[in-house]
Amino acid sequence: MVQMATPRGKWIGARVKRVEDPRFLTGDARYVADLTLPRMVHAAFVRSPYGHARIKGIDASAALAAPGVIAVLTHADVASVPPLQDPIALDGLKKTPQTVLASDKVRFVGEPVAVVIAEDRYLAEDAAELVQVDYEPLPAVTDAEAAMAEGAPLLFEDLGSNVVYDQTYRFGDPDSAFQQADRTFKKRLHTNRFMASPMETRGCIGQYDRGLGELTFWSSTQMPHMLRLSLAGFLGIPEQKIRVITPEVGGGFGQKMTLYPEEVVVAFLARHLQRPVKWIEDRRENLMSATHAKEQIIELEAALTNDGTLLGLRATCIGDGGGYSFNTASALVEPQAAALMMPGLYRVANYEARVVAVVTNKTPVGAFRAVGWTAGHTARELFFDEIARELGMDPVEFRRKNMIHEDELPYTTCSGQVYDSGSYVKSLDLALQTVGYDELRARQAELRAQGRYLGIGISPYVEPTAWGSEIALQVGFPFPSHDNARVSIEPSGKVTVAVTTHSHGQGHETTLAQVAADILGVDLADVTVVFGDTAATPWGMGTYASRSAVIGGGAVTLAAQEVREKILKIAGRMLEADPADLVLADGKVSVQGSPDRSVTLAEVAVSSYFVNSVRAEGEDPTLTATRFYDPKATYSNGCIVVVAEVDPETGQVRLDRVVSVEDCGTVLNPMIVDGQIHGAVAQGIGGTLYEHLVYDDQGQLLTGTFMDYLLPTATEVPPIQVEHLETPSPVTVQGIKGMGEGGLMASPAAVAGAVLDALAPFTPKVEELPLSPERILRAIGTITD
Amino acid sequence: MKRAIALTINGVRVEAEVEPRKTLADFIREDAELTGTKLGCEHGVCGACTVLLNGEAVRSCLIFAVQADGAEIMTVEGLAQNGQFHKLQQAFWENHALQCGFCTPGFLMSSYALLQENPNPTEDEIREGLSGNICRCTGYQGIVAAVKSVAGSAE
Ligand code: FES
Ligand code: FES
Repeated sequence: MVQMATPRGKWIGARVKRVEDPRFLTGDARYVADLTLPRMVHAAFVRSPYGHARIKGIDASAALAAPGVIAVLTHADVASVPPLQDPIALDGLKKTPQTVLASDKVRFVGEPVAVVIAEDRYLAEDAAELVQVDYEPLPAVTDAEAAMAEGAPLLFEDLGSNVVYDQTYRFGDPDSAFQQADRTFKKRLHTNRFMASPMETRGCIGQYDRGLGELTFWSSTQMPHMLRLSLAGFLGIPEQKIRVITPEVGGGFGQKMTLYPEEVVVAFLARHLQRPVKWIEDRRENLMSATHAKEQIIELEAALTNDGTLLGLRATCIGDGGGYSFNTASALVEPQAAALMMPGLYRVANYEARVVAVVTNKTPVGAFRAVGWTAGHTARELFFDEIARELGMDPVEFRRKNMIHEDELPYTTCSGQVYDSGSYVKSLDLALQTVGYDELRARQAELRAQGRYLGIGISPYVEPTAWGSEIALQVGFPFPSHDNARVSIEPSGKVTVAVTTHSHGQGHETTLAQVAADILGVDLADVTVVFGDTAATPWGMGTYASRSAVIGGGAVTLAAQEVREKILKIAGRMLEADPADLVLADGKVSVQGSPDRSVTLAEVAVSSYFVNSVRAEGEDPTLTATRFYDPKATYSNGCIVVVAEVDPETGQVRLDRVVSVEDCGTVLNPMIVDGQIHGAVAQGIGGTLYEHLVYDDQGQLLTGTFMDYLLPTATEVPPIQVEHLETPSPVTVQGIKGMGEGGLMASPAAVAGAVLDALAPFTPKVEELPLSPERILRAIGTITD
Repeated sequence: MKRAIALTINGVRVEAEVEPRKTLADFIREDAELTGTKLGCEHGVCGACTVLLNGEAVRSCLIFAVQADGAEIMTVEGLAQNGQFHKLQQAFWENHALQCGFCTPGFLMSSYALLQENPNPTEDEIREGLSGNICRCTGYQGIVAAVKSVAGSAE
């Protein structure tokens, strides 16, 4: 089904600077930490210092006696709150309930055990140190494969195993493909655990009005309505009596999708204490208690003919889920997403995937930009580089040979994704041309002769976007997904757009206003986009998985079109003209061919609301419409190429160039698309070279501050060149496809690929990421012990 | 045990009694009620809390308010004058140097200090000069471009 919009006007596709920016530039923007309420008190959590331990007792008396302390709560005090567990119903997925404050056991360092409430945050933190918890340490397990082994310490004794999911999927006939193969190859890659690390940590404020029985909850979340639904369930407060407000949110990247035990506790406390309760975590807490991401152990096998044609693939994806499996969509979220998208944009007719999710004594895992796909894509692309090297083929030729070509689209993959449209080969070619591939290969040979090591990493990708019900199913998460927009022309003629997709840096106040402005023929300045308050917007799911441009943009389009029809109907009566002959532009409606016969939008609006004669009997006076959108599946694509030089003496990597070609269909605002790519690529650089959450074998987190968890700075991220292709989707409203994650899906393979290509003369062996200098030196044999 | 201090923030004199352990960042945010200054790590790495103390960029999470007694402080709220953006604010806007905006006050103040010291920095000098600030959203592209665009221009 193709739903075409009104022809594009002057806003969609324009490089408009963001309307939301001024308040951030002046310091006026208010995040949750910036809010203060009368009588507000502060919460600090007591967290487990052990990876795995039994709780034998808690003595809070010293903390309770400390200055300014109002209360200390432990599990016994919140026992009425049900445990958090996975909402997704999948055959064979085991549940690992987490009580909001640990009851009998702790399963990761940082797990909340008790909460202290005091008059200010300093006092709350002081007192938290005085809470005495009697722990009996238990043997810990911090490696997914070790956790699967017979006799491993069990996190949940009653499950009898640490494996919470283990399923094998078969597509086509993989066994025959491997029998017919001329050659087979294998690869193993253990991807590093890293995390979203938004610059604003988590935080929330709860306020309960006893008279009204209403909870108002300010939270740094990506999904206000979903949070409201959860709080209602956990606290037994009717959903309509809860209002969730997100002030400014300082980045999410998936980490703020999920419901956290701390949020439930703070909401509980607000009602329990009858005072507003604020909790703002510090960075150490974020590093050890907010969701981690990206860690998998992936094993791949490929069946090929001698000429390099791919006949089949096998994959085992083991997700290391940490202490509990419920965040976002359980410990499954990494390996399931990796496995289903493993064929990527290649012709793979026969494929077998084993998906395993395991709990370990580490922080629980959740979504982070390109969840699952980063690890899967990186493993596959590095594998393909190795295969090409073994076959003596250029890595570009190997990819081109096995890639789905444009004339094969739409294409249904063996694992069930329907690629609607795209520019797979074209993106690859444009990226190579932009970077000057042939010259680079020549330069690489020259430099090698001088003992310098330059490498080129190539990473073409297809990106599931527009997370609606259909694509969710296609990529392995059968959960409905849709959103709403309400577009209103106020009586003054100004436009309010209320959406349920959430903006925490994505610039929706600008892009969604661009969509509405074009359809309603108004100036951008006359449109205000509202989100982040369950009392001010229709119901919807929120922002995740690159869905907001498509779903938000689509829903705004549909609602604005409906309002447009209403405007034209009223204006037709005012102008005594057929609505079909009217033109809506520049804030007025005029009759086609006789521009003098016109009324302003403000006149139409005021008439609609206040002049009964312009309306037919029973017609709605309000110029408003609410429409939902649940798009058909659509996939963006692109290609990232990285050029790097490696010093084999020190293991240092210098990134010389990054070229990113992006095709996300209809572009709403190219400046914002560029920004999304820049940020995602920078995160990919961090995750490939620097960022690593390291545990010792007792489950201690060794990278608990920004001194040891290294985020890239302006000196590590080189200039990133973005090129756009635009292949509108034939199946979505406006042809929008969505984007935002491709950069983090594909840049790690390009960065690591460039490093390994540079070092090819040393035949490096890499089975683990990140590519720290030490790991590089080991891979090429400079360090051997 | 509170101590009386007096300092000037964005040209306005602020007097208060503070606990000796209160950080300058918390003092600015809570006592002076200027919440533009952000806290990203509270251990001196991210630069979100950067303010100018007697003209020098400092991390206000690492300084106690009592240490700033008598000092002149400038925060992000002090950049715009008479409702007019400072040229850096305008440049950040033009160059899409912010997404979630959380790091922005720190970057603006670090950039301000950088340009005071070196009015015409090269791209490498800009990157080096801003390497004490972390942004998780923009990949630094817009930020570097913004500072570059005003480098060499008069105040
Ligand atoms: S908050 Fe001060 S440097 Fe991070
Ligand atoms: S704009 Fe979000 S951290 Fe910089």
